[in-house]
Amino acid sequence: MVPISAYLILAAVLFGIGSVGVLVSRNMIIMFMSVELMLNAANMALVAFSRALNLMDGHVIVFLVLTIAAAEAAVGLALIVALFRNRESVDIDRFNLMKW
Amino acid sequence: MTVDTVIFFISAAVAAFGATMMIAQRNPVASVLYMILSLVAQAVCYVQLGALFIGAVLVIVYAGAIMVLFLFVIMLLNLRGSEDLGGPSTPVSLTTKLLVPVLLVAELVFIVRSAFTEAASTGIMAAPEAGFGEVASVARLLLTRYLYPFELTGILLLVAIVGAVVMARRERGDEAGGTGVGVSASDRTPTGGSD
Amino acid sequence: MEAQLPPYSIKMMLPELFLFVWALVVITFDLLTRRKSGSAVGYLAMLGLVICGGILSITGYGRGFGMMFINDPVAVFFKVIFLGAAFMAIGSSFGITNRKIVNHRGEYFGLILLSTVGMMFLASSQELLSLYIGLELTTIPLFVLAGFFKDDRKSVESGIKYMIMGALSSALLLYGISFLYGLSGTTDIVQMKINLAVTQLANEGDIGVILILATVTILAGIGFKLALPPFHQWAPDVYEGSPTPIAAFLSVGSKAAGIVAFVKIMMLGLEAFYDPVMKPNDWGILVGVLAIAAMVWGNVAAVRQSNIKRMLAFSSIAQAGYIMIGMVAMNQYGLAAVGFYTFVYMFANMGAFAIVTVVEDQTGSCKISSYAGLSRTSPFLSAALAVFLLSLAGIPPLAGFFAKYYVFAAAIAMAGSSNGHTWLYWLVGVGLLTTVFALYYYANVIKTAYFAREASPYRLRPLRPALLVIAIGLLGVLIFGVVPETIVDFARDLPYYIAH
Repeated sequence: MVPISAYLILAAVLFGIGSVGVLVSRNMIIMFMSVELMLNAANMALVAFSRALNLMDGHVIVFLVLTIAAAEAAVGLALIVALFRNRESVDIDRFNLMKW
Repeated sequence: MTVDTVIFFISAAVAAFGATMMIAQRNPVASVLYMILSLVAQAVCYVQLGALFIGAVLVIVYAGAIMVLFLFVIMLLNLRGSEDLGGPSTPVSLTTKLLVPVLLVAELVFIVRSAFTEAASTGIMAAPEAGFGEVASVARLLLTRYLYPFELTGILLLVAIVGAVVMARRERGDEAGGTGVGVSASDRTPTGGSD
Repeated sequence: MEAQLPPYSIKMMLPELFLFVWALVVITFDLLTRRKSGSAVGYLAMLGLVICGGILSITGYGRGFGMMFINDPVAVFFKVIFLGAAFMAIGSSFGITNRKIVNHRGEYFGLILLSTVGMMFLASSQELLSLYIGLELTTIPLFVLAGFFKDDRKSVESGIKYMIMGALSSALLLYGISFLYGLSGTTDIVQMKINLAVTQLANEGDIGVILILATVTILAGIGFKLALPPFHQWAPDVYEGSPTPIAAFLSVGSKAAGIVAFVKIMMLGLEAFYDPVMKPNDWGILVGVLAIAAMVWGNVAAVRQSNIKRMLAFSSIAQAGYIMIGMVAMNQYGLAAVGFYTFVYMFANMGAFAIVTVVEDQTGSCKISSYAGLSRTSPFLSAALAVFLLSLAGIPPLAGFFAKYYVFAAAIAMAGSSNGHTWLYWLVGVGLLTTVFALYYYANVIKTAYFAREASPYRLRPLRPALLVIAIGLLGVLIFGVVPETIVDFARDLPYYIAH
């Protein structure tokens, strides 16, 4: 049997990889997907806790969170489409999100 | 070393591997494919945790719809990764940017291990109730106790549709880049106020 | 498993449902009438907000859906702030919508209304999932609104930047929520508070470590929304790039939404852990550090800005810092001070941004230097701008002074009451110092408008709705400077409702 803490550690690792992606990534598609990865890490934690508590509430939360993530992705990608629609080049330039 | 443990380790490794490769790719299409790989591995973990319905939904909705939407947009706009690394990849900035998440993960892992060593790491949990993780149980909760968040999410989807259509639609005369929406920053002309 | 619908009352949700339907009406109206309607769409939206306010005033207090939706004085207080912010944002938008986005007016106003609906649901939530959904419902329209000038690359980029920051903050928040759920077994906030306190006492700090993790991630998520340093990097760029009324709405409405989320989760849910006895879970210190960072960084960075929208962005960061001081003072005065401050801040900030919109519309520039000599050609607008900026700076007898006074007084009262909180004196000290320092950049704008060498070449003639917004702002700032007790007495009851 696999202990619950193993799943939580996996969630933490995925969360960390996602945050590395947000900080280091060089284009906005990957940055966006890294954020989605972080959301998925939270989902994993929720499902793990749901199993540990033997309650189904976690599953319902994950279900609705998936829906919200889909809505967010749709709007975000629409914004990206709007950005690239009128541009000459198609290279995704480095997106200077964090100006330190 | 039961079958359970082996399956967990394999799927966890694949999930982490897929995620790491996703952020390291230059080609955005490859990134999406690695993300899908990671998601399928995570779905295996979900099934191991008894979340049968949610695992299936993850593959269908997330890998099957959201990631496909990403692919669709990438191909619609014909996006390519930049050829060179570009941007500041000086050792200092790269170190600071990697240091924070590494510290974060190390902290998280330490915290999780230390806090759950007693109760959860024996690996023995109560057997789940009948119907745990099945569609019927999720639906029962979703439509009774969680009806209000369910309806709110419906409103959210409507809002997302309106927003996405406004942003992505092609305006009249869009080919040359001039539309009826917005004016570029250099073009703002002063007008007198009138109503 | 039981399959029983909890007791529900649609009557309690009437303001939100009405506004939601009205938003759809506004979108459809614009669809059907297109350009023939002139500014009617905007007026329709404002009318909807007024009617919604009316419905809100006659809706009594009570629960709307089981334990998840509650209409209590706290919710009503913040809903009024949200409605006011939306009203003033829409009022300032007429110049833009009549010229720049003629094709999508209905969607523009509709999305503002829908975002407000999300904020109202957020204010009424007593449960983590509906709080999260309300927060998403608030921010997703704002992504689109920030990027609404599709041809202006800066605008779309600021929309994308805000979207990534918003998604990041919601991921952090969700991660924290997952741990709270895991530790307490429920998503209902009041029940969670009880469960956590019981578990903490039983395990003697065993869950304390996980709780710190949850608190930190939740604070990070909310810190992104409130633009508290070090999570504030997105704010100046997004405020500068997005349409100015949307920047105004972000600075007031979105911040107030973040404050409500903070109040619900931290003050209500994690209340048991704000106590020196319960160390190391005392989240007050974390929030205090964030507050100091916000006040210092916001005010210092504002000095160097030559673009007035960026200056106001940093000023908003600093104002959020002062509000956080009120949060840390968890006595009976703290929440009242936070509520009053947000209320007053709404009038001053929306008013200031309204004037910036007028200037931007009619001169095409957002630089502070273009305000030179404005006092001679547009005396009313310059005077109004001066009043708003002085209220933000905290000059008596304007309302902003009393807002700061109450916040500092609450913190001092808390510092004196129990031993573990003497560091609050330092917090107030930093607040006072930065307030004096901030006067410099607020006064700089006023000085440019009044004491320039030549008169401005522009004669500003704002539209009637914009004038209405400015007038409302002035009234708010002046009236509540003279009689702050009216609001503060109402706000004093708020902590009572939070505790139950």
